[in-house]
Amino acid sequence: MRQSRTRTRVRARIHRPHGRLLASVTLLVATALLAGCGPKVEAVTDVRPGQGTPVEGGTAVMALPPAATPNWIFPIGAPGYLATYNSAIQNLLYPPLYTPEPDKSGKLTMDSPRNVADKPRFSDGNRTVTVTLKKRYRWSDGEPVTADDVRFWFELIRANKDDWGGYSPKLLPDNVERFQVLDDHTFRLRLDRSYNPAWFTADQLEYFKPLPRHAWSKKGEDPKKVFKRLLTHAKQLSKFDSDPLWKTTMGPWRVEKWTASGHVSLVPNKRYAGPDKPHLDRVVLKPFTTASSEFNVLRAGGLDYGYIPPSVMAQSAHFKETGYRIDPWESWGVTYLVPNLNHPETGPLMRQRYVRRALQSLIDQKAISKHVWHGSAEPTLGPVPSALMEENALPYDPEKARSLLAAHGWKRGEDGHGTLRCAAPGTGEGHCGKGIDKGQELALELLSQSGSTETSNTMQAIKSSFSRAGVRLDIREQPLNTVLGTTVPCKPKEPVCSQWQLGFFGTQGSWIFPAEPSGQQLFATGAPSNMGNWSDPRTDELIKRTEYSDDDSAMRDYARHLAREVPVLWTPNPAYQVSVIRSDLRGVDQNPTLTLAPQDWYFVKKPARGGKGANR
Amino acid sequence: MTAEAATPTTPQPAAGEPADDDGPDATPGLARRTLAVFARNRLALLGAGLLAALLAFCFLGPLVHPTDQVHTDLDQASLAPGEAGHPLGTTDLGYDMLGRLMHGGQTSLEVGLAAGLLATLFGTVYGAVAGYFGGWADAVLMRVTDAALAIPALFLLVVVAAMVTPSKPVLILVIASVAWLSPARLIRGEALTLRSRDYVHAMRLMGGGGGRAVFRHIVPNAVGTMIVNATFQIADAILYVAYLSFLGLSIPPPAADWGSMLSSGITYTQVGYWWLIFPPGLAIVLVVAAFNFIGDGLRDAFDVRLQKN
Repeated sequence: MRQSRTRTRVRARIHRPHGRLLASVTLLVATALLAGCGPKVEAVTDVRPGQGTPVEGGTAVMALPPAATPNWIFPIGAPGYLATYNSAIQNLLYPPLYTPEPDKSGKLTMDSPRNVADKPRFSDGNRTVTVTLKKRYRWSDGEPVTADDVRFWFELIRANKDDWGGYSPKLLPDNVERFQVLDDHTFRLRLDRSYNPAWFTADQLEYFKPLPRHAWSKKGEDPKKVFKRLLTHAKQLSKFDSDPLWKTTMGPWRVEKWTASGHVSLVPNKRYAGPDKPHLDRVVLKPFTTASSEFNVLRAGGLDYGYIPPSVMAQSAHFKETGYRIDPWESWGVTYLVPNLNHPETGPLMRQRYVRRALQSLIDQKAISKHVWHGSAEPTLGPVPSALMEENALPYDPEKARSLLAAHGWKRGEDGHGTLRCAAPGTGEGHCGKGIDKGQELALELLSQSGSTETSNTMQAIKSSFSRAGVRLDIREQPLNTVLGTTVPCKPKEPVCSQWQLGFFGTQGSWIFPAEPSGQQLFATGAPSNMGNWSDPRTDELIKRTEYSDDDSAMRDYARHLAREVPVLWTPNPAYQVSVIRSDLRGVDQNPTLTLAPQDWYFVKKPARGGKGANR
Repeated sequence: MTAEAATPTTPQPAAGEPADDDGPDATPGLARRTLAVFARNRLALLGAGLLAALLAFCFLGPLVHPTDQVHTDLDQASLAPGEAGHPLGTTDLGYDMLGRLMHGGQTSLEVGLAAGLLATLFGTVYGAVAGYFGGWADAVLMRVTDAALAIPALFLLVVVAAMVTPSKPVLILVIASVAWLSPARLIRGEALTLRSRDYVHAMRLMGGGGGRAVFRHIVPNAVGTMIVNATFQIADAILYVAYLSFLGLSIPPPAADWGSMLSSGITYTQVGYWWLIFPPGLAIVLVVAAFNFIGDGLRDAFDVRLQKN
């Protein structure tokens, strides 16, 4: 009897097949449901474009990019925290003096009505700049916004320039010899030389912003000490919405909620005195780990302003039918893979011009744009947006790449397969180049951002193309913040320099330019966003020319030089996102510099019978 | 042979004799009876047939339908079944879907089989040691098992897989590291019963040590339970591979497995690329069902009462 019970117990313990079967069948059924047997999306609104009566109030929920979690509220961006979503939010709380915006023709200008200051006045052969702040602005605690608040920002970056992500040697703050406050609302900059006014406004004055000295610093306090204290607060992500420090703002919005997972909720700053007061009660920025998860929430009606992955572009008609409008958000940027030229092992490889040119010739940007990005990306042709490039200096040409590598002593195995190895070490003609040992493999590891099917597929296509030519590419995917935190400029002996060989953080564009797409931040020697540690005297010289001269040839020469030098490997530049916006959410202007202006957004309600359309 | 002398799952050897020292006629008789019971179970035969077919499909299929599963071919991307010589269409990167199903199946089956067997082997030894020695050793070993069981397996798998770059050996170890707990508990229960058998006592009286008792008497006599459990462990392991891959923790491309194929296909559900979803999904269901049917059949085959019938 006892034995029989034991046997039954054993039988019961091992008799669980239906659970597994159920699990696997459930997997398939769930897939089938996702595949189109699930509930259909209901129409969210039937207000047609151009119709509807504007209403005040309401909450708009906007999706953040895949795997992007806002993690920096301090309006002085630190290296590793320069993601566009961070600066976009910061600018809503602490707006800069000048905001780039497209004019009616689509050309970017610095003359936005929401500028905090009047147009800068250049004098003394463009060596002196005088800026007058508009008098109406006040901090959220009622204190006026003054020129001294701008000087506070300047003192902070001057004393801590190495910790400022926007620092480029010999540019801000080095190029300002004197910052003089003329009165409560006017300050004057004495520059170290004359500059191109258009460039200086677009690429230097755009950084200037007032910060609340009265709330953040005691009188006469050392800027280094203040900055250190502010940085300590800036690293306490979980306290962004409760720390009193971040409560004093001057922009149209203030933070209501900011979670460590990246959920940000903004409400209007009631004391905002600018011309663009918010219409909505609240704007919610919602994070997503992947584009697919965002898409599912969008389909379920959980977003007012989201995006669709390029892979489902064919669904755009479906969204239009259900009360959304589709609006690709084109960015003023470039996209690339950054080689770490200071990596102890692969740095010598990537410092070879012929290697970079060969690898560039192995990237079929046209095919990737067409098939992987489904037409929502376009080839990057050089260091400036493609609209400004004249030609593709290194189009896809695998044969040329193979012969270039072979001509420099790289050989595959006896059978013509396997990874290329250096067979001719040395620095002369037909040799592999300096620092490359005999037998060294042409192999790289790519640290790429996760969360996007298109990015993963782009990298797979590149890996495949490299593989055909004998170049091994191992891909490691990590969340965007991890990639941005790892792919930082470094010196060869620094531990971080060994952590990455090739980096990619461009699912929504690697670099978005200010109005003037100069390269002082990207490719100038020692620049903060020169992640790959590119250093070339000719590049520095050409960048300087774009800063000093308003001659069009300066930008053209710079672009042409770097397109041929390939300091980074150019890859297709995707639209920032293919936006899907509720048709009753209006006022959404998608700025190519990726700034946000939710204060312009408003909802419309269905017009009364015979009523007129939207009139805002 | 009395009912008291019989083991729960296998015929009892004579007292004082190790299980593998049975007479020459005993083992063939047992095997024949086991096979006969198994052969009477239609679902078990179906499972075996399905498994054989899937193994042939994955490992012999590429010989009949050779494809390049390493290099992408963007010009052939997302073709529907039947187009341009691709019976099951192509993926978003231009891989032939039928070939990828074979290629992915190899990974799923290899990792699933290896992880399932490793978990069963380790769990068996662990449980046998705990059950045989009892006392504080049993208490410590089984509290470790209980504590590990309290942590959700999928959570553990995701954490571990995120910390290391997945590869076949890594996946096998990671999955086996959470899957051994169930067989450990099961075999420990068997060992508690087996250790009081006369032949174990006899072996100890003759000077046999604990190691001999565990490896020559306890484990061999629990082999039926082990085998049945192993089939379910393999099915579980294949599902774990699918779960992990579905969550993006698969072996990096161009390697593939059915879970990662399913995960990639989900991206295209909205545009109707059904051929990227249903084949790998169906393959997972079939292989799990096959192992379950086989496990059911083996359980019945090892059941003494059914053999006597």
